[in-house]
Amino acid sequence: MPMSSVIWYLYEFARKSWAESFAIAKTNPEIVETPERFRDFPQVFPEYCIACGACTAACPAPNAIKLIRSEDNAEEEGQTYPVINNRGCIRCGFCAEVCPTDPKTITCGENHLIREDFTILPTERMFVIDDYLCIRCKKCLKACQVEGAITEEDNKIIIDQSKCIACGNCLDSCPVKGAIKGIYIAHVQEQKDIIKIIVNSLEESIEDKREDISHLSDDEVYKFDLNIDVMVDRARSILSDDDIILDIFQKVTDRLKLRIVTWDDEKCNRCQLCVNECPSGAITYNKEEDVVERDTEKCLRCSICYQTCPFGVAGYYIARFLLDPPSLDDGVIHITVKASQLPIGAD
Amino acid sequence: MILPIGPIHPGLKEPVRLKLKTQGEKVISAEIDFGYVHRGIERVMKGKTWQKGIFLSERVCGICSYIHTQTFAETFEKIAGERVPLRAQYLRSLTNELDRIQSHFIANSTYFKAIEHETLFMYMLHLREPVMDAIELLTGNRVNMGWNVVGGVRMDAEEKHLNSIYQIITNLEAEYDKYVEMFEEGPLLGLRSKDVGKMSKKDAIKGRAVGPIGRGSGLKHDVREDHHTYKDEFDWKVIWRKEGDNYARTMNRFDEISESIKIIKQVIENIPPGDVRKKIKIPAGYADWRNEAPRGEVAYMAETNGNLIQNISIRTPSIMNIDVCGKYMLQDVATVADAVATYASVDPCVACTERVIILNEKGEKTEFDGLHKVKYLQ
Amino acid sequence: MLDALKDVVRKSSIHVCLINTGGCNGCDIEVVALLSPRYDLEQYGIYVHNNPREADVLLITGAVCEQWKENLQRIYSKAPEPKVVVAIGNCPLTGDVFNQEGSSVYAPVSDFIPVDAEIPGCPPRPAEILAAILAVGPDAIAAKGRQKP
Repeated sequence: MPMSSVIWYLYEFARKSWAESFAIAKTNPEIVETPERFRDFPQVFPEYCIACGACTAACPAPNAIKLIRSEDNAEEEGQTYPVINNRGCIRCGFCAEVCPTDPKTITCGENHLIREDFTILPTERMFVIDDYLCIRCKKCLKACQVEGAITEEDNKIIIDQSKCIACGNCLDSCPVKGAIKGIYIAHVQEQKDIIKIIVNSLEESIEDKREDISHLSDDEVYKFDLNIDVMVDRARSILSDDDIILDIFQKVTDRLKLRIVTWDDEKCNRCQLCVNECPSGAITYNKEEDVVERDTEKCLRCSICYQTCPFGVAGYYIARFLLDPPSLDDGVIHITVKASQLPIGAD
Repeated sequence: MILPIGPIHPGLKEPVRLKLKTQGEKVISAEIDFGYVHRGIERVMKGKTWQKGIFLSERVCGICSYIHTQTFAETFEKIAGERVPLRAQYLRSLTNELDRIQSHFIANSTYFKAIEHETLFMYMLHLREPVMDAIELLTGNRVNMGWNVVGGVRMDAEEKHLNSIYQIITNLEAEYDKYVEMFEEGPLLGLRSKDVGKMSKKDAIKGRAVGPIGRGSGLKHDVREDHHTYKDEFDWKVIWRKEGDNYARTMNRFDEISESIKIIKQVIENIPPGDVRKKIKIPAGYADWRNEAPRGEVAYMAETNGNLIQNISIRTPSIMNIDVCGKYMLQDVATVADAVATYASVDPCVACTERVIILNEKGEKTEFDGLHKVKYLQ
Repeated sequence: MLDALKDVVRKSSIHVCLINTGGCNGCDIEVVALLSPRYDLEQYGIYVHNNPREADVLLITGAVCEQWKENLQRIYSKAPEPKVVVAIGNCPLTGDVFNQEGSSVYAPVSDFIPVDAEIPGCPPRPAEILAAILAVGPDAIAAKGRQKP
């Protein structure tokens, strides 16, 4: 029955609503409606921002979010706030979840309503307080933006790692160098390698000046400078993050105390007292040539030989370091070597 | 002659290359080439915290993105030796089943498109949209949901959300029998599907087929049977069929949808009150975990030092399923059109399969054997 | 007159080819969802054919993987003029979460072929894709068609 279907089609087309919908294509408005929970691109309210960087640390997408600072003007300082790049944002809402301000700087769907005690922040740095160095001035307590992250318990200042957002404000406010430590917890193996490079090159540089050092008297101090360019280049080839490298350089130069043992064969009377005392077996007596030999590879720098020897064959010196100014580009390590104050002679 | 199909081809929605060895219209054997969407996700995950890793695992595959995050989270919960609160387990199962329904709808719609049945293709997509709405209502996004975390789910489901999901599911159940009947009893669809792309149970075991593809060939195996939530809380059964052809695989998926609807109803009726998230401290350790993705078994093996992921390996179902498709189903197929339909019936997900290329020390490709032997190229 | 007629024809019949250059598949299924009766892409005269040789619009989803660096340019050169390239999702724009140390993606896609329109999102909702294609596609194709080769 082809004829009847043709008539049916003509009849259908003749209906006004059909013809209209045929001519003007449109989609139902309901498709653009989104439910309440829909996570659109995050909204930023710059006025609440405390510039802690929690959002940038939490963001799983590499290009999505960054902190920017508006320019200073006459009345007030520039405001720092996060900017979302829609082309990189994956709309996970994690930045809104970790934001510690109240009210939230970033909102996203309903994710910013998630209870605060469940917010988890993946951090690159961990801040700990060294109780030995802490002077309990409580400046960090005032500087901390998050309530309950730094607390005082039994006259000790403690950082609660589950609440800490790793903003670093406490570190800036602390008047004692080293009392608060910001530890990079990522790239541990790479950090170890860099520390090895620094310590080895410092040791080599002191080894080169051995001649000068061995003539030092008890209250003389020997100073010289070391350029760090070569070390920095080698460190950069291991790890690309300049912040971490500078942090390692500063920590190493602040805390490292190199002990140096010198050996003056001419003074030796072959008494062999040191041979038995040496805990690592680094000192041996060679019968055929009648000399006492010291193996630098085995030496622990424990200073026992220095304290044992009645003739002053072994010399014992301590080297300390300072990176000044603290920068990778024009920093220089100042090295100070002086004789140890340990008592001499076996008692 | 050898007939290449793909990587960009009207019959395929993802880039993959089929090389069909043909004799006239008859397909003698086939070869399937991958490598067009390799991104290196596992290498990127290494050295990241789990909070970042879970969003990366979500993007292993866009269709079954939910189950990847659940398996990732449960792997790390196993390392910690803890289980999430019961309400969170229920909500996870709810989202998992919603995700399974939408994935099976899109798989079947792709099959109907491959056998040129546009009507059912449109009906399947039409049925899928309300399910996507339910997912968006609950989790906040349609595809990459960002719903799981280690320790539970991010947000609680309110009463009104559960009610509207229940409404959507009841409507779906009432409507969808009609379309299943169209496929089940349609004589032309039957001619096009029955006895095409057959795989015996023996071959399925030999080729390690998983999911609806294995179950369509008589392998009664579903990882959900071992999962603590499904084992203890819900009343359901494993769907399986004996025929092993395109018809069996498609019907198997249809029946699984109605089984999923049953589970969702149980979830919403019996959901207990309580917390949806708890704080879990992850120690250093190694664990593996498997789950039933819409396409079959997905397994995660992860090693962590307590803070960062040190090693992770993901095994997705599609790699085995596409392999058995090339080896056993595409042998002696009557026509080229049937070969494309058979490939579509396997529900291939190419994005799943490509994350890592394993090389030996000389730089040659090798088989994967054990996570602990893997060394990443620097 | 002829140009105006061509414009009408070009605007009312757009053939689309979807190219996944290494994404998670999420944007692809959102484009497939556009075919569903609710969104009904075809009522606007847009057909998803997945055939680059008859495509007016190339939809790129996915960060560019190793295999696609050359093949993408080959596909682009095979599509007939006038053609419009639309990048869907974050992968072709910035590489999304994959663009980190250790991955093998070469985003953005605009390093390889010229991109006319961008739709951010991971993945964008179908309504957003639809709105963007309708806002950009027809006019861009008509404008490109009027340019002298």
